[in-house]
Amino acid sequence: MIETLLEPFEFAFMRNAMLAGAIVGAVCAVLSCYLVLKGWSLMGDAISHAVLPGIVIAYALGAPLALGAFGSGLLCAVLTGYIKANSRVKEDTVMGVVFTGLFAFGLVIFTKIRTDLHLDHILFGNILGIDRSDLIETLLVGGVTLIVVLALRRDLLLFCFDAGHARSIGLRTGLLYYLLLSLLAATVVASLKAVGIILVVAMLVTPGCIGFLLADRFGPMLALASGSAVFSTLSGAYVSFFTDASPAGCIVLIQTLLFAIALVFAPKRGLLAGRFNRAQSTPPQPAG
Amino acid sequence: MIDALLTPLQYEYMVKAILVSGLIGGVCAFLSCFITLRGWSLMGDALSHAVVPGVAVAYIAGLPFAAGAFLTGLLAALGMGFVKAKTALREDAVIGVVFTSFFALGLVLISLYPSSVDLRTIVLGNILGISDADIWQIAIVSAVTLTVLGLKWRDLLLFCFDPNQARALGLNVRALHFTLLTLLAATAVAALQTVGACLVVAVLVTPGATAYLLTDRFGHMIAIATTMGTGTSLVGAYASYYFDGSTGGCIVTLQTAIFVLAFIFAPKHGLLAARARREAAV
Repeated sequence: MIETLLEPFEFAFMRNAMLAGAIVGAVCAVLSCYLVLKGWSLMGDAISHAVLPGIVIAYALGAPLALGAFGSGLLCAVLTGYIKANSRVKEDTVMGVVFTGLFAFGLVIFTKIRTDLHLDHILFGNILGIDRSDLIETLLVGGVTLIVVLALRRDLLLFCFDAGHARSIGLRTGLLYYLLLSLLAATVVASLKAVGIILVVAMLVTPGCIGFLLADRFGPMLALASGSAVFSTLSGAYVSFFTDASPAGCIVLIQTLLFAIALVFAPKRGLLAGRFNRAQSTPPQPAG
Repeated sequence: MIDALLTPLQYEYMVKAILVSGLIGGVCAFLSCFITLRGWSLMGDALSHAVVPGVAVAYIAGLPFAAGAFLTGLLAALGMGFVKAKTALREDAVIGVVFTSFFALGLVLISLYPSSVDLRTIVLGNILGISDADIWQIAIVSAVTLTVLGLKWRDLLLFCFDPNQARALGLNVRALHFTLLTLLAATAVAALQTVGACLVVAVLVTPGATAYLLTDRFGHMIAIATTMGTGTSLVGAYASYYFDGSTGGCIVTLQTAIFVLAFIFAPKHGLLAARARREAAV
């Protein structure tokens, strides 16, 4: 019984998967707290899809794939900003136009360039196929992102919470804007191998929401978000070993489960707490 | 030369694919005018991903895919509404949480039953291999959508433009909200077949956005968007013969190219026009 339960840990690919998953989970979760406050969930979605042409072009040129992915992710954000500023179309619409345009272009050139890249792995991740060099790359990109975010966490927090106030006390909000975008693009690149383009956005939104429901202060929010994300990636990879189900899918479903639990049971903001508070505040009925 | 250009049209599956793509492209473009005005791009993206588990279950159980997809799409929309009403979370975050959950569920279901449904078909579309039964489902969805839009477009327009005024005029805003949501889910299901879940949002947004840059009148906007949506879908499906079947990629790349042209050269709202106005003012 115990042997069966420990079996996954005997395989190097499972150990690599869990380690990479934990790093990616933690980095995404930290960033997700800022994105949830800033209202940038769609931005994560957009940048993650937009990396596709960068990967294909980098492959064709023989450049590092991560570099191409980062470049085209950032290009998506910059183009969105430019078109938004110079036309009357709403921001969410512009973003939808730009990221799908880049993704579609990526698909078209993918069919024209003979590659040994697997589209499925780019779209849905391939956490069980992560090797040593992937692990080092993930560690490097994730580590740098994490250090930058934590070093600037107060400035970024103020920027996300109240950009106007941040500007008035002398923070360079333009710089912070592009910094946060770059961090987002870097995180997406680091997460690609683990969860793939389509589900990165879950890693970039759900943990922050869980933290938001459970905590009142930003420190605990960060801790709860990363804790839940690391737990989900580890247990998701573990469950998929036994069930043969898609690892990325399992990871995200476990996150959803945690979100649902937080939604119902959160001590202050949960559905039950809300009901309880309402019952408490109902004025006593006059007797007779 | 002409023979070479006509090659794709000699295959029955290509002709079918081109015609069906054009139909779906037109219907989605019609709806896109409302979606872009309402600011519901994220909703379109979310619903197109959220229908995946429904499609998976329908294929596994041998039911019509449209029914399953439509049901999960509505379920996701209700889920979003519920979480949004009960928490202080921002709407975009709630949408993100819910649609990725649905998509992940679909992914898990498909990975457990790999034989009955191909993931790539759902995510990237597969109009070249569409079955006659699926064409019928798409035709019905399109007919219903066009009828509802044709009958209700004035009310929907007012609702998208200014919900408060719509309410003040005595329109049932709640019903309009759900009508639009239902139409969105229905067209997302149809578009899934041509361009796939990842690119549905493009055909539901780009034509409307392009037309919005080119005209100030809603009637013209609908005409321009529908023409563009139909045209790009016909040409894109045709071109995909030369691009190894990436129909969605071809259609959406074309649409984006036209959007960029409109963004630069639109007579009144384009980049060059704005620059010329600034220079004239100086």
